[in-house]
Amino acid sequence: MTRLLEVRDLTVQFALPRPGLFAPKPYLEAVRSVSFSLEKGRALGIVGESGSGKTTTAMAAIRLTAASGGQVLFEGSDLLKLSDEEMRRRRRDVALIFQDPYSSLNPRARVTDIVREPMDLMGIGTREERQARVVELFELVGLRPDQLNLFPHQFSGGQRQRISIARALTTNPRLLVCDEPVSALDVAIQAQILNLLDRLKAELGLSYLFISHDLGVVRHICEDVAVMYLGKIVEAAPCEALFDAPQHPYTQALLSAAPSLARRKSKGYVRPLKLTGDPPSPLNPPKGCAFAERCPKAQDLCRQTQPELSVRGATHVACHFPG
Amino acid sequence: MAPLLCIEKLRVTFRTRYGEVTALDSISMHVNEGETLGVVGESGCGKSITALATMGLIPSPPGRIADGSIQLAGEELIGANSARLRKLRGGDIAMIFQEPMTSLNPVFTVGDQIAEAITLHQNVSADRAFTDAVALLDRVGIPSPDRRARDYPHQLSGGMRQRVMIAMAVSCRPKVLIADEPTTALDVTVQAQIFDLLNEIQRDFGAAIILITHDMGAISEMADRVAVMYAGRVIEEGSADSILDQPQHPYARGLIDCIPTLGRAERTLKEIPGVVPPLHLLGAGCAFAERCAFNDRARCTTEKPRLIDHGHHPAACHGVEESRL
Ligand SMILES: Nc1ncnc2c1ncn2[C@@H]1O[C@H](COP(=O)(O)OP(=O)(O)OP(=O)(O)O)[C@@H](O)[C@H]1O
Ligand SMILES: Nc1ncnc2c1ncn2[C@@H]1O[C@H](COP(=O)(O)OP(=O)(O)OP(=O)(O)O)[C@@H](O)[C@H]1O
Ligand SMILES: [Mg+2]
Ligand SMILES: [Mg+2]
Repeated sequence: MTRLLEVRDLTVQFALPRPGLFAPKPYLEAVRSVSFSLEKGRALGIVGESGSGKTTTAMAAIRLTAASGGQVLFEGSDLLKLSDEEMRRRRRDVALIFQDPYSSLNPRARVTDIVREPMDLMGIGTREERQARVVELFELVGLRPDQLNLFPHQFSGGQRQRISIARALTTNPRLLVCDEPVSALDVAIQAQILNLLDRLKAELGLSYLFISHDLGVVRHICEDVAVMYLGKIVEAAPCEALFDAPQHPYTQALLSAAPSLARRKSKGYVRPLKLTGDPPSPLNPPKGCAFAERCPKAQDLCRQTQPELSVRGATHVACHFPG
Repeated sequence: MAPLLCIEKLRVTFRTRYGEVTALDSISMHVNEGETLGVVGESGCGKSITALATMGLIPSPPGRIADGSIQLAGEELIGANSARLRKLRGGDIAMIFQEPMTSLNPVFTVGDQIAEAITLHQNVSADRAFTDAVALLDRVGIPSPDRRARDYPHQLSGGMRQRVMIAMAVSCRPKVLIADEPTTALDVTVQAQIFDLLNEIQRDFGAAIILITHDMGAISEMADRVAVMYAGRVIEEGSADSILDQPQHPYARGLIDCIPTLGRAERTLKEIPGVVPPLHLLGAGCAFAERCAFNDRARCTTEKPRLIDHGHHPAACHGVEESRL
C-alpha cells in the first residue's frame, strides 16, 4: 500500500474575541494533536458528535483552515510548509463535496459551467478539451448530456449531489474530502449516491476522507475509521475491528445509539449503553480524559490523566480501561 | 375496542400553479391507546400533511380537506369549530416538530413557556404551573431543571430544546403525541436519548405516539405498527414485525434494503432508482411504477392498486395482488 496522506499532531486553534479590553485573547482548540494516515485507494471515515472537530480536521488537512501546528504529508511533502504559490499548484490534487447540494451550487449558473469552472480557474486544457471533459464527467456520475444546459434548481437533491461530484472530479484529484455528503438526502437517494462514490473510488483509484455521523454509511464506504471526541481521535481502526469489537466506551455508546433494524420494539430491546449529558465545552477542556464525566467506566485516574493513543491489536485507542 | 385515533379515507388537496393537486389520496390509518404507529416514506410523500390535518393545521387556502374523517376517541375532528380544535391542540393531541427552535418563542424562558401551556389547558395558578414545568423538565432529563427553567431557548443545546418540546407536549397528558421527524437535526447519541425518552413517556403516560420518520431503523426500534406512504397514499400497513420481516410492496422492501447496516458490509447497496414524482404529474397508474422493477403488468400504468391484504398485511401493488412477487 502506498500512503497518500499522513497527518501528524495536527492542531487547530481558533482565536475568539477578547471578553474584556485587557483580558487575554481566549482560544478554542478545535483539533488537538490529531494523527492519522490514509492509503491510496482507501477511504477513512471520521465520525463523532457535532462539534467534535471533524470538519475542522479535514479542512486543516487540505489547508483550507489554518493549522496551528503539526504536519500534513501529502504524497510525502508537507502541505503546511508550501508557499501559497506552491499550494495553489497542488490544489487540483484535492477536492471537496459538502452536505448541502442546494447551497453549494451557484443558482444562476448553468451546470455545464459549474462543472467546468475549476478547470477554467486553474487554466487546465483548451476550451474544447475542458468541454469534452465535462461531458465525460456527466456520464461518469450518471447524468445525461441533454441536461448540461439546465440550472441547479431543475435537478433533484440527488442529481445536484451528482453535479457536485462531477465538479469535484474535473481536476483529476487524488483525494476527495466528503463532508456529510449524503446526510441531506432521502434514504433511497442516499443509496444511489453511496453506490456512485463507491464505484468512482474503485474506478479512479480515489482516496476519501469521509465525514459522516451515520455509522452504517461509514461502514459501507470506508476501510478505516477514526472516532473523534472533543477535538481528539479516541479510537482508530480498520472498519471490521472497530464495528465488531469497539474498544473505547464512547465508540461503544455511539454504536449502541445508532438505529438498527436488528433492534425490535416487539422483542423489548433495551439499549445496552446509554449516554447522558453533553460533551464538555472545548473552551475549557477537562484535565483528564474528555469523556470521563459521561463514561460508565471512569475512575480517578481518568479524571486526572489524559489517556494517550495506544495499540491494541489492529486498533489504536485512547482509554485507560479499553475493551 | 375502537382505535383511539382513526383516520378514514382522508383526502387533502392543494391549489397550485399546476391546478389542484391531491396531496393525500384517500388515506386511512389508525393508532390504538398506548401504541406507537410509525409513518415512513420519502420526502414529499404526505407524512407531515397527515400530521397537520390531524392537528387541524392544514394551511387553507391553498390547502383543503376535501373528504374523509378523523376521529379522536369517537369525536369527529373534521369540521369541528376552531375553538374546540384549539382546545384539543396541546391538550388531547400534541405535536413535536423537527426543528424545536421554530416552535419555541425566543423571548420567553422555557419554564414560562411550559407553564403557559399548562395554564392554557388546566385550571391551575401560575405558581403551580411553574412548579409543574420544573418537574416536567426534570422528568425529560434536563439537568438542574430549576436553573434551566429560567433559560431562554437559545441557551440550550439542540437536544435539550427537543426535550423542552417534549415536556411541553406532554404537559397536558395528551392522548395522542405526534412526533414529526423529532431527531433529524440531532446527533445519533441525542437521537437515542430522545427515542428512549419517548418510550418512557409512553409507559408513564399511556399516550399513543405517531412517529414520522424516513428511517426504517427508527421504525424497528420504536414502532408497534407501521404505515408506509408513497406519493400521498398509504401503500402498505401492518405490524412492524410483519412489515420488516415480510415487506410486500417493492417500495417498502426497497426502503428496508437500501439502508447500509452496521453489520458486515455488502458491496453494492440495493438502490431505488429515480425520485418521487411531483404531485401534478401523477397519472392514472401506480405512482411507483416508473421506479419499480416489477412494473411489467399493463395495469401498473393504467390503474391505481388498492390496499388489499394478500396474506401478511395490506399492501397496494398489482404484482403482490397477482402474487407474482
Ligand atoms: N471559525 C471558527 N471559529 C471559532 N470556532 C470554530 C470555528 N469553526 C469551528 N469552530 C469550533 O470548533 C469546534 C469543532 O467544529 P467542527 O465544525 O470541526 O465540528 P464537526 O465535528 O464538523 O461538527 P458538525 O457535526 O456539527 O459538523 C466546535 O466547537 C466549533 O464551534
Ligand atoms: N402549501 C402547499 N402547497 C402546495 N403543495 C403542498 C403544500 N404543502 C405541502 N404540499 C405538498 O404536499 C406533499 C406532501 O408534503 P409533506 O410535507 O406532507 O411531505 P413529507 O412526507 O412530510 O415530506 P418530508 O419528509 O420532506 O417532510 C408534497 O408533495 C408537497 O409538495
Ligand atoms: Mg462538520
Ligand atoms: Mg415532513
